[in-house]
Amino acid sequence: MPTSSFFARYSAYLQAAPLTLVLLVFLVGPLIVILIFSVFKFTGFIWEPGFVIENYERIFTDRFPVTIKNYVQTIKITAITWAITLFIGFTLSYFFVFDLIRFKIKIFFFLLVIVPFWTSGVVRMVSWLPILGREGLVNKVVVGVGLSEQPWDFLFLSEFSVIVGYVHVFSLFMVAPLFNVMARIDPSLFEAARDQGAKGWQILLYIIIPMTKPGIAIGTIFVVALVASDSTISRILSGGKMGTISTTISNQYQHFQYPFAAANGIIFLIVLLLFVGGLMRVVNVREQL
Amino acid sequence: MSDATVVQNGGHATAKKEKGRGTGFYVRATFFFAFLFFLYGPIVVMGILSFQGPTGGMTFPMRGFSLHWFREVFNPSYIGEFTSPFFLSIGLAVVVMVITTVLSFLAGLAYRRGFKGSGIVFYLTVASLVTPSFLISIGIGLGFSNLGLQTNAWTGGLGAQLTWTLPFGLLIMLAIFSRLDTSIEEMARDLGATDWQRLQHVVIPIVLPGLIAVALFGFTLSYDEFPRTALLVGSNNTLPVEMLAVQSIAPRPNLYAVGTMTTIFSLAVITISFVALWLVEKRRGLTGGGGVPEAEHYGDALGQRRKQAGPPAE
Amino acid sequence: MSDDKKARTGKAVSRRTVLKGSAAAAGLAVGSGAVSGFPTIWAQNIKDVTLRFVGSGVTHQAPWKAMIEKDMGFKVDFTVTDFDTIKNRGITQPRSYDLLEPTANNLRAMWPTNVFQAIDSTRLKHWDEAIDLYHAEGKIWPDASFGQGQNPSLVLYTDKQGGRKFAKAGSSKWLTMVPSQHNADTLGYNRDLTGRTLETWAELISDEWRGRVALQLLPEIALMDMGMALKASGLVAYEDMGNMTRDEIDKTFAIMNDLKRQKHFRGFWLTFGESVNLMLSKEVVLQSMWSPAVTVVRAQGVNAVYADLKEGYRAWTIGFMLPKHLDGLKLDAAYAFFDWLYTGSSGAYFAKQGYYMPTPQRTKEFLSEDEWGFWYEGKAAKGVIKDPLGNDLEQPGRVRDGGTYKNRMGRVAVWNSEPDELVYMTDKFDEFQAI
Repeated sequence: MPTSSFFARYSAYLQAAPLTLVLLVFLVGPLIVILIFSVFKFTGFIWEPGFVIENYERIFTDRFPVTIKNYVQTIKITAITWAITLFIGFTLSYFFVFDLIRFKIKIFFFLLVIVPFWTSGVVRMVSWLPILGREGLVNKVVVGVGLSEQPWDFLFLSEFSVIVGYVHVFSLFMVAPLFNVMARIDPSLFEAARDQGAKGWQILLYIIIPMTKPGIAIGTIFVVALVASDSTISRILSGGKMGTISTTISNQYQHFQYPFAAANGIIFLIVLLLFVGGLMRVVNVREQL
Repeated sequence: MSDATVVQNGGHATAKKEKGRGTGFYVRATFFFAFLFFLYGPIVVMGILSFQGPTGGMTFPMRGFSLHWFREVFNPSYIGEFTSPFFLSIGLAVVVMVITTVLSFLAGLAYRRGFKGSGIVFYLTVASLVTPSFLISIGIGLGFSNLGLQTNAWTGGLGAQLTWTLPFGLLIMLAIFSRLDTSIEEMARDLGATDWQRLQHVVIPIVLPGLIAVALFGFTLSYDEFPRTALLVGSNNTLPVEMLAVQSIAPRPNLYAVGTMTTIFSLAVITISFVALWLVEKRRGLTGGGGVPEAEHYGDALGQRRKQAGPPAE
Repeated sequence: MSDDKKARTGKAVSRRTVLKGSAAAAGLAVGSGAVSGFPTIWAQNIKDVTLRFVGSGVTHQAPWKAMIEKDMGFKVDFTVTDFDTIKNRGITQPRSYDLLEPTANNLRAMWPTNVFQAIDSTRLKHWDEAIDLYHAEGKIWPDASFGQGQNPSLVLYTDKQGGRKFAKAGSSKWLTMVPSQHNADTLGYNRDLTGRTLETWAELISDEWRGRVALQLLPEIALMDMGMALKASGLVAYEDMGNMTRDEIDKTFAIMNDLKRQKHFRGFWLTFGESVNLMLSKEVVLQSMWSPAVTVVRAQGVNAVYADLKEGYRAWTIGFMLPKHLDGLKLDAAYAFFDWLYTGSSGAYFAKQGYYMPTPQRTKEFLSEDEWGFWYEGKAAKGVIKDPLGNDLEQPGRVRDGGTYKNRMGRVAVWNSEPDELVYMTDKFDEFQAI
């Protein structure tokens, strides 16, 4: 194929080019802008072009205690959301892949899980009020049944409601990759294992979990990215009472403190990338996909 | 656990009948339905409250039943004009979907061959996913304005959404391609198929379900996106941005009505696409039997090749 | 019916005057009568103009948009969003709008960015009629309080076109913004749940309402509300509540942090809608609130009261700013719009939601006597008071909370402000949220 030798040699580059180009323009470009802003001088009300490292310095000096608190809170909320979505994702995938037999039922049930994700996220966020609020459906039951005389305040405008909101919106992102990898496990492996005398939990521990690791890793990246990017859901469902790193950044952003917000954002991005890098060392997604 | 693991073997039709369900199955089935209950709770509440009476609010009690808030959506008396944002969002979502599918597919092909710098592009993609939204939106906004350009949904907005959908697309494509045995392509090459023929007759049919998955993800992620778009839409709001604005200014049950209608709309779209897909499959003589659709395509494509080209050298 | 008729004729008059005014301006600009067809050309071209507004839901409502298009003859495009997005989009993407409507308390941060053009007040036909708050006096009435913090007159003028500094009110013809609406904020409470009338800001920190109190999520506003409460309780003294010192900020946060630990606050709201939902769903008994939010809550059957507290009100102003790029026909259209804005029909439209506009005398012409009496004079409603859409708002006999325009705007304790120590305040607010 002499005519196509150029394409044959460079086709991979040509194929990867459009995606790379989009990311260069709309990701790297903006990040460079942010990086530039992160060294601008903030004068109290507005920024001035310049080169100062104060914006980074203050994160690790004056503001170090609150920075740590913010990160701890962020990690806590992310970890809880991650654990719950992982449990849901794993159980549902198992149910879909190994318990359900007929293809049509499988598809039908899977669709049932997906459909709510086509309902506006904004509305799904707002509609927790009539459910979890003081006068909401759950509290009506709680008071009605006599579980408590007073409505449970912790259900809404709390960490609890933030996690509920996150799990509701983000669990699909864990279900999908787990389902994907689990569907590839050959069930004959189980029979072979059982023939060797393996118990149910051993099959789970030594066959299913190791084989679903890449799915877990991808789902983890999705969920962590989603939680990290969010400031709206957490603000509205916590009633603005929760201090995460996103909260701090959005407070700064609201007040035009772009250089501070940019510096915080860059640090946050580095932390997130380190996390993903660490995850990749444990599970090399690219090779195991 | 083990008792419920008897399943199909990826081929046509269900291979074996289950040997009876163990407790594990019922626990998981209960969990599944509990999850559905959790998932649909807010949706049902939204559905009910969208029929609030004209003086009703965003929460119970219902102050009468009416279609008032549905009319309000189409003929806004106050705040919240949803019709043009809806079409903008749909249009944008379709464009994002197409670009995401094509670009992820191409990049997936590139990863199949391997190229220098593939690691960098991979990490760039992951970075795109985990970068906090406001960095992207402010970055694009400031970048555009410093270049003297004006952002709108179709420039900065589109770009911002692609930074969100492309990582999903690429990760899915990588997963799909990793399952595609290279030998099948080699076989086709041996049989004299050109690059394009291989792509058209071998690769694309096999990865089609994966492409559909990428397309659906791309569409949904774009359609419901607001953190990256809110600052960049210019003078026309997308639907989620408009809803967020209405939520912040005058939250009234018209929000629920929009939610109800878009849910019904999505249901219709999903139903139609699945019926269409099912018809296509049927025409191609496939019975939907296995749990791993790709495997079927794989087998099928292989089978067809065999039929056309005679037995391969094994 | 008669109101409608009045409104219609009023609009017709205003439209005529607007067109006449601009024709005169155009004629003046060109000089002789050689171009007698000019106004007609303007009137024809104006149809092709679309002014893009970015602003809040306080003003950017569908019926008002229809009013503009009908009276002005050009097209209008509204993007409705929250105040944060308004100011951030305003600065980062000035080319994405033609008119921006931020709050005056953001001016200290926004004006020096140099993305806006000053507005020539001598080109505004009704500027002289605007309340004295926006002129040299800085007060609506001579006996009104000037208020602590950033009185709008302090940031409304700039020395020259292209100037980055603020000028003394009335000392220059250049405006930073054309004020649209103003109002006085206070606490809103659920009268059925409190069981009594509240009279002082000190109630905000009372143990009685523990766990049922909400403030705004903006530190500078939340701190002023807390400041009002702490001053009223005699816990902290402030030199200027709208511009707290570090020491005052520390003292305020010390108490706020304790209150948060005791779970005193049910939540913090950022948007109008969130405040409505908090009150409507009975999550809170008492909270910082905007007047129209109380109206919305009342219309849905909750007995909410807009507290008339003895320490006074926290007031604000919003207005329209023009980006630098605006010129030619669009700039003319914007000026024509400003003239129209002050003719009274808008004032009446927004009065029925509880807001005030800078030309109350003109607003009066567009309101019925009963409406004027209810919204401005603190008189008991004779008939049913309706909102701009014609829905019932208040029953006969009801008196507006806070009473007269003068009682509310004349007793401004503090103006919404961005203090010198804003960065310090935001930092401390992060720490408060992290508790």
